[in-house]
Amino acid sequence: MDWYFWIFAVIAVLAGIFTVTTREALSSAMGLLTVFIAHAALYLHLHAPLVAIFQVSIYAGAILVLIVFVIMLLMAPEERAGVIQANVSFRSFGVLLGLCLVGLVAVGVKSIAVLIARRSLPDGFGSPSVLGDAFFRDYLLHFEVVSVLLLVALIAAIYLCKKRAWKH
Amino acid sequence: MATLTHYIILSSILFGIGAIGFVSRRNALILFMSAELMLNSVNLMLVAFSYFRADIAGQVMVIFVFAVAAAEVAVGLAILITLFRHVREVDVTKFNILKW
Repeated sequence: MDWYFWIFAVIAVLAGIFTVTTREALSSAMGLLTVFIAHAALYLHLHAPLVAIFQVSIYAGAILVLIVFVIMLLMAPEERAGVIQANVSFRSFGVLLGLCLVGLVAVGVKSIAVLIARRSLPDGFGSPSVLGDAFFRDYLLHFEVVSVLLLVALIAAIYLCKKRAWKH
Repeated sequence: MATLTHYIILSSILFGIGAIGFVSRRNALILFMSAELMLNSVNLMLVAFSYFRADIAGQVMVIFVFAVAAAEVAVGLAILITLFRHVREVDVTKFNILKW
């Protein structure tokens, strides 16, 4: 099953690079969609089928559609088709920062990976029933807090987008 | 067999790509997408740790992250639309009214 990891890892990295380098925002969104799908495939490999389903339905479904909707709303193609490009100092700073981050993690991995011993999986690991059990037994309070957070975000989004909400 | 180290390196590379995009692009929508990329790479690391430690808490955490990401995108895009009404622009360097 080694090839499975490598195929989707390579797809995720290439699509990620495409997402941050392409000029068009819409192509960028399509690259992001590919990253999401590749992640979902890797979640399946890691015995997390419910997380994979949520990845496809919430990320690739809801969040990406929202982003594409806003791209369509704000960016008329003839007006600002990819005219926004960062200057060189911005870019080189970004690349330097990113490489430092990756290097830092790579150094850290050596010490971590030794500490983490592989454990054998219990029956039904990652199945919806096990996950639901964890949610409603151990994480019930957190679950309720998240539902309140979503409600607050909904109200905030409606208020912000209301006409005249921020009129001077 | 792919080990935990493989997954850590993959997700740190994806996080690095997202971070590079976040600081080097100027289109506000692409900044959003880079932030989503970083969130996703952290999710991948959580699920990988959950699998290799046989601990379901990692997957529960990832589902909470989904909810928080959905809230973040909803509010963030609402702020972006409100900003666009004022500035008629999605270039983040044009949002400089608080800068001096």
